[in-house]
Amino acid sequence: MATTVALSKPKRGGRWSPWLFALPALIVYVGFLVYPAVSSLWFSLTNWDGLSATYKFVGLDNYFKLPSDPVVVTAVKNNLIWTVVTIAVPTVIGLLLAIALNGKVHGKPILRLIFYTPAVLPLVSIASIWGWLYNPQYGAINSFLRLLGLDGLAQPWLGQDSTALWAVMVPAIWLRTGFPMLLYLAALQGIPNELYEAATVDGATKWQQFWHVTMPSLRPAHYIVLALSLIDSFKVFDMIYAMTYGGPGTSTQVMGTWMYFNVFQYYQAGYGTAIAVVITLVAIAVGIPYVRSQTREAS
Amino acid sequence: MTLTAPVRVDVSIESAEPAKAPRTKRGLVITLVLIVIALFWISPLALLVITAVRPLSDFIGNGPLSWPADFTWKNFSDAWGIGNFATTYKNSAILALIKVPLGVLVSAMLGFALAKLRMKFRRTVMFTVFLGLTIPIYITIVPVFIMMRSAGATDSIFGLIGPYLAFGIPFEVLVLQSFFRQLPDEIIEAARVDGAGDWRVFFTMILPLSVPALVTVAILDAVATWNEFLFALILLNSDAHKTIPVGLLNFQGQFANNNTGLAAGILIAVVPILIAYTLLQRWIVGGLTAGSLKG
Repeated sequence: MATTVALSKPKRGGRWSPWLFALPALIVYVGFLVYPAVSSLWFSLTNWDGLSATYKFVGLDNYFKLPSDPVVVTAVKNNLIWTVVTIAVPTVIGLLLAIALNGKVHGKPILRLIFYTPAVLPLVSIASIWGWLYNPQYGAINSFLRLLGLDGLAQPWLGQDSTALWAVMVPAIWLRTGFPMLLYLAALQGIPNELYEAATVDGATKWQQFWHVTMPSLRPAHYIVLALSLIDSFKVFDMIYAMTYGGPGTSTQVMGTWMYFNVFQYYQAGYGTAIAVVITLVAIAVGIPYVRSQTREAS
Repeated sequence: MTLTAPVRVDVSIESAEPAKAPRTKRGLVITLVLIVIALFWISPLALLVITAVRPLSDFIGNGPLSWPADFTWKNFSDAWGIGNFATTYKNSAILALIKVPLGVLVSAMLGFALAKLRMKFRRTVMFTVFLGLTIPIYITIVPVFIMMRSAGATDSIFGLIGPYLAFGIPFEVLVLQSFFRQLPDEIIEAARVDGAGDWRVFFTMILPLSVPALVTVAILDAVATWNEFLFALILLNSDAHKTIPVGLLNFQGQFANNNTGLAAGILIAVVPILIAYTLLQRWIVGGLTAGSLKG
């Protein structure tokens, strides 16, 4: 197509041209994500209360205080439990569902639709739905137990230390199973049939085929599921906030919510930010291999 | 390796074998088991629907697991008014309508520069942007709050646009640049020979060829925007400016003892996203797997 404007540019566009494309996104990204994250590092070194105009530099004091804060200890423990359970259980269920769905199943699209549905709902609505199911008096879960004659098992699931965290993890599992299922399903469909044919010819049993053909072929999918779940699990905030508000007492506090409470309830913005910095550094450290793999692959 | 190509798996080797009857039978058994699990999986939502359409007295009298003796729409009208849903719907919709196209556009531009233009520090830029995927929102809330307060943008949905854009960019750029990379360089070279500049290549070739990826990214971004909670919680105060998730949380507190009204309110909040998901699921599924299943 002939153009009227003769652009006397070098073939690859001007040297600055790529930056004109890159800058709008980079400015927003740096201005609203990188800059705030880095300035949090500074706030974590101060005794700022979040309201006053002035504050003092206190060095690493906030960080030294962390280990002696019993709620931080609880929060770290809860974050660990949360990470392990909400990665392991959804991954295993997701893989099993994917394998089942990959067979000769009728109504595959609708089944897949159902299993992924919780993942698109707002976390707050999931919290509301489950809070309502867990209601000690009128909740469906206790009613169901009573219906089965297991009245003894009916209990205030979210209202007691012993069960609250586990009760919040159930909806988290419900919501997070869809993604591994989709990913494994796509990966399973990419395994060439020849591999199974060859294995059958060699007399491999179904079980052997699973461990020696299916699982090795799923390695990239395992990696992605694990990396993205890990990254995701450190961000836990919404569910805890909306379902238990960290309670009863402080038994379901995680680092994210405890940070929020310190900043917005107890006016310890400096200390709260230090909590956020710690968990963010862990999240970045864990996420870096994934980020590098994405960068390398693309180059 | 990207798994975007449509793959047929239903034709497995087993079907070639003579033992057809037991195979079909096994397929049926697996289907039945899956249907039972699926019913169980969807039961919280099913219960929600049933509860939302029955009178409160019926719910309390017969229990949450009974079939309604009576049906009513009243819960919805009650919840709609008290939950302030007309306002929160409007706010969430305005926010998504501004944020999503803007976010997809700037991410596509950056993705294009990374995928198809010779750019200095490209690897560094990529690494820095992708690193954003790992950053939890709460590390930024204190500085963002201060920023918005000094700009007078707290308690306004427009104050949310910047942070929402920033947290959406890493994922959008990741997906879009990997899609752009697969577009053949030859067509771009041919356009350049004809005198087209980078902008013209971007708007008249790259974008039209990438409609599937753009739509997928836009849908996923719209879902994330619609659902975002933490920034909205700290930046919005007055009821007139709340978005759906924050409004729903308030509503939940007010309706603690009205189970049927609560169910109706939750449904009101999630129905648009459920409908959108059902209609657009092909794009969502394709995008999630294509975007992340590489390497």
